[in-house]
Amino acid sequence: MRVRIERRLNQPRWLPLVVPLGSIAAAFLIIAVVLLATGHDPLHAFRKLFLSAFVDDGALSSTFVSATPIAFTGLAAAAAFRMNLFNIGAEGQLYFGVVGAVGVALLLKGAPGSVSIGAMCIAGAAAGAVWALIPGMLRAFGRTSEIITSLMLNYVAGLFLNYLIFDSHSYWRDTTSPSASVFPQGQAIPDRAAWPFATIHGVAGGIAFPLGMGVAVLVAAFLWVLYKRTRFGFELQVIADSPRAAHYAGMRTRRKILAVMCISGAVAGLGGASQAGNFDHLLDPRSLQQQLFGYTGIVVAALARYNPFAVIVMAFLLGGLKNAGFALQGADFPSGLVGVMQGIFLFSVLGGELLVRYRIRIGRSGRAPAVEAAR
Amino acid sequence: MDDTAHAAAASDGAAVAGRVAIACRGITKRFPGVVANDNVDFEAAEGEVHALLGENGAGKSTLSNILTGLYRADEGELELYGRPIAFQAPRDALDAGICMVHQHFRLVDTFTVTENIVLGDHRDVGRSFRIQPRAIERRVVELGERYGLAVDPRARIWQLSVGEQQRVEILKALYRDARILILDEPTAVLTPQEASALFETLRTMAAEGRTVIFISHKLHEVMAVADRVTVLRRGRSIATQRIGETSSRALAALMVGRELQGSDRQRRESFGNVVLSVEGLSADGDRGVTAVHDVSLTVRAGEIVGIAGVAGNGQRELAEAITGIRRVKEGVVRVDGKPLRSGDPRAAIHARIGHIPEDRLHTGVAPSLSVASNVVLKSYRDDPHSRGPMLMLRVIGERARSLIREFDVHTPGPSTPARQLSGGNLQKVVIGREFTGTPRVLIAAAPTRGLDVGAIENVQNYLRDAATRDVAVLLISEDLDEVLELADRIAVIYEGRIAGEVDAKEASVEELGLLMAGGVGSPEPPRSAGAGFAGTEAGNVRP
Amino acid sequence: MNHGIVVVVLASAVAYGTPLVYAALGELLAERSGVLNLGVEGMMLVGAVMGFWAVQRIGGPAGLVLPLAIGVAAVAGAAVALIHGFLVITLRASQIVSGLALTIFAGAAGLSSYLGNNLHLADSPARHTFHPLDVFGLHDVPVLGPIVLAQTWLVYASWMCVVLVALYLSRTRPGLNVRAVGESPAAADAMGINVVRYRYAHTLAGGAFAGVGGACFSISILNQWVDGLTNGAGWIAIALVIFSFWRPHLCLVGAYLFGAFQALPLTLQAREVTVLPTEVYESLPYVMTIVVLVLVSTAGAKRRLGAPAALGLPYVREER
Repeated sequence: MRVRIERRLNQPRWLPLVVPLGSIAAAFLIIAVVLLATGHDPLHAFRKLFLSAFVDDGALSSTFVSATPIAFTGLAAAAAFRMNLFNIGAEGQLYFGVVGAVGVALLLKGAPGSVSIGAMCIAGAAAGAVWALIPGMLRAFGRTSEIITSLMLNYVAGLFLNYLIFDSHSYWRDTTSPSASVFPQGQAIPDRAAWPFATIHGVAGGIAFPLGMGVAVLVAAFLWVLYKRTRFGFELQVIADSPRAAHYAGMRTRRKILAVMCISGAVAGLGGASQAGNFDHLLDPRSLQQQLFGYTGIVVAALARYNPFAVIVMAFLLGGLKNAGFALQGADFPSGLVGVMQGIFLFSVLGGELLVRYRIRIGRSGRAPAVEAAR
Repeated sequence: MDDTAHAAAASDGAAVAGRVAIACRGITKRFPGVVANDNVDFEAAEGEVHALLGENGAGKSTLSNILTGLYRADEGELELYGRPIAFQAPRDALDAGICMVHQHFRLVDTFTVTENIVLGDHRDVGRSFRIQPRAIERRVVELGERYGLAVDPRARIWQLSVGEQQRVEILKALYRDARILILDEPTAVLTPQEASALFETLRTMAAEGRTVIFISHKLHEVMAVADRVTVLRRGRSIATQRIGETSSRALAALMVGRELQGSDRQRRESFGNVVLSVEGLSADGDRGVTAVHDVSLTVRAGEIVGIAGVAGNGQRELAEAITGIRRVKEGVVRVDGKPLRSGDPRAAIHARIGHIPEDRLHTGVAPSLSVASNVVLKSYRDDPHSRGPMLMLRVIGERARSLIREFDVHTPGPSTPARQLSGGNLQKVVIGREFTGTPRVLIAAAPTRGLDVGAIENVQNYLRDAATRDVAVLLISEDLDEVLELADRIAVIYEGRIAGEVDAKEASVEELGLLMAGGVGSPEPPRSAGAGFAGTEAGNVRP
Repeated sequence: MNHGIVVVVLASAVAYGTPLVYAALGELLAERSGVLNLGVEGMMLVGAVMGFWAVQRIGGPAGLVLPLAIGVAAVAGAAVALIHGFLVITLRASQIVSGLALTIFAGAAGLSSYLGNNLHLADSPARHTFHPLDVFGLHDVPVLGPIVLAQTWLVYASWMCVVLVALYLSRTRPGLNVRAVGESPAAADAMGINVVRYRYAHTLAGGAFAGVGGACFSISILNQWVDGLTNGAGWIAIALVIFSFWRPHLCLVGAYLFGAFQALPLTLQAREVTVLPTEVYESLPYVMTIVVLVLVSTAGAKRRLGAPAALGLPYVREER
């Protein structure tokens, strides 16, 4: 029996949609098997997961809290990965977004809310974009792989945050409140600068829809139009597919690389602004470094196959999973299971990708026996 | 006549040939959309040089890939020294003593010659788990001397010339004591001198009782080196003949399936002004070495200037320098008198230079994008394809559809990915796109490489058509026949320099061949028809 | 003298650097075969937790349990690497995304955490650990004593591994073959080398080494298990492979250099010497790696010093 993998010549239109869904279904199956093997009842577990993620009182609100930052980092990753620019640095770019946004919010102490919020967005995006420019320039002009450089800069960014709060008396550090004298923590932004929620009453105890999520949806729409309908997006498609053809056609590759890295960094930075504005309200290095928003965003983007709208959906689903993980923590739902499930989803979708580009053929068995050549 | 003189030598050689070494019976191999090998019968004997002759797309490469275990035939059988055999993987063929020298060398660039030769040699597994470089180097030098393949065993591949790299490939086979050696278009990258040296090596190997299978589409080479020849056409084996019993003309007819007609092109007498002027152009190659030295030429409106030469003498770099893809070190390119900015493809596009690139699939188009996207690859910024920053997708679709109609491109539709098109249709898309902007100059680099006969004719017609419309055409091609057929003036490029220039009416294959080999063209009495390049007759001393 | 800053830092550098040596050697092998595995952190964490489990649960004398635990850690790391290998070699998935998925799957909020918490491994310290040896009783020798002659078995074994891997790559036939697979899988395939088999083998070896590196943390350095105890060492190991130009002996040097940068701030803090904020020292490994990467990426250097040419690309035969 010989299994051959051949490149597909025609791709039916339904394929790129059905395969990921099929993969996710397969993933659920695998997870069910794992749960069974460890003595849990899979259907019970799935039901509990679903309820705590989306249905229980306050569940949706909590899910939005988890989903918003990874929606941003997912969009940031999708924006870059589509162009074969592997920006792993969304983590660090988000950190800098927080720094920028909180800094500006503290600066504009007396300003009205809308001004503060707008300024936070701009500052966050700008800070993220600048941090992304470093690996971008190294790639565009130094031909250095952005994978490792952006990854290393994540750590540098984290250390910088540590420095700001734990090792210095910086602007971002809280020096006045009583708890601050016991343990270093960040200075809170003024109340007026806190991002609002849109409350929907009556359903499941009231749903709080954060402004950040709304901004993320707008960003998704913007990215979609940019890539599909503009000249800029067309050039990106060509460069991603064949840099040689792009050069031949007179496209300026280097500027595009910088532009895409900046956009990606800006989106991640915006995510930092949203995180600070809507949820943390201060610079909290420990929490940020534990949550791994940046890396989770890459998972989200990969699951969504880099489509901006799919990213929002996937962020929502993964946010729900994370939220359920918190809510259910205990003997019944051990910590670590969330990561395992996320991993299995991703492995499944990755593996399924093969079927989109290739076809599996199972060959006949039986052939003439190989004979040693006479010399 | 030279043919018969060599034929006599060949039939003497044929007497040495022994039993059948490898045989194919009824081999069939299909790929999506094409039958590459259709019930092919072929056999080669010990001690002979057997040529596999056919045009591009005739199925030679596929057959050789089956012989070396890279592909598995869908139907048919292989026999090795009379016994049936099947290969699961290339390793089986290697173990059976079959080695192949590919057109694109399978060498590891960063390894030394020695390391490449040792690679994959499994005969000593167990006994020499450790590598002893010095012993191997000695053997390499020894083999090099015996077969005329001298090369420095410590050199790294990227430091070697193409001809030397090919020697390494052959040494690999000899090191493994290959009984059957297959060479795929080996002279495509060699000068005539290097080619005749290669033929010497092959004859030495055949005289030792090895089997040499020589794949080519060049008639004169086949006549010069082979004992027997098998002709493939459209995936079928047409005939097998002894060299002594056939002629170039007969083989050509078998290859193409029809009698070749001489060229009767009506040549224009007068041309317009000079449109393209290249003055003292120098440019570096990919490896930092100068690839184009002080090249000057002019092309007038309506003229076709052909640049002939063996592939690898700077043609690609010249085309890239003229069209702005490659930065110019010295000199200038002018269109209608105005100088072009170097290293900027957009400037060339603005100056209405059309460019049909050598590598159509990876440079000429974005392979995964749709035909429509590729149609507007250079014009997407212009009205009406886009308005402001936004693309006008419907207009683009229309444009693609009309191009598909006008140039008769066979494709399911404008949204088909470009890579799914056949070579000929892809080239039509490229040509159609380049013609759309009514170019003043057209640079066509190896435009018919890898195409089937019908597509080749199409492309050549377009080029002629362009000339009648007063486009200045610069045709760069390794196919001397094509250049002779189409060009009004012919320049020969050798090692990055223009070795000589002749009017097409007065050009002769011999003189051009000499120029291509680096010799100075001299007024010698014309040789009789059918002779190959100088220096390929048996008994000639190696340079 | 042996308690001066320099000696203490260097001695700690060797201790801290050892997990890096193992993990980097493993990743180096994988990358030489053309497979980029960003999941090193995850594999190390799984190795750490499983090695710790073995030490806690397997009865017997330390001399038996400890080597066994290392073996368990290696197998655990290789098992995780198998997932990555299957996805990228057989199913031709993106190596970058798969590696990151591996880190999330096996890492600090994933499998290693699950195993550690479920098996209640955070509750007690290690029952057996690797103690520093006293080679020939010379641990008091100035300078060399603490640095070279008073380290654990794991350290000395790591030196041997470096030598073995270096010899393997440069002087043996399989080593030549794997280098060919990483530089030009098409050439290797045509020469009859089984590209798939080599890639699997070296990816699994990478996982095994990473597992051992992780075990260094749980049963030699920290002597207990906590969630995420490797603290980013896996990422540094990836950087280290590049920093060492894919050469094993440079891995050793680089690992100790990076180890020194990690040991330095702690030592300085303990002595209350503060010249620069500790974060500056801690960021040095990362910054240095970026600098090295930029240098290696210039065109001329690429050929001589650079990455295996086919790194990160799936290999497909029979493509028309």
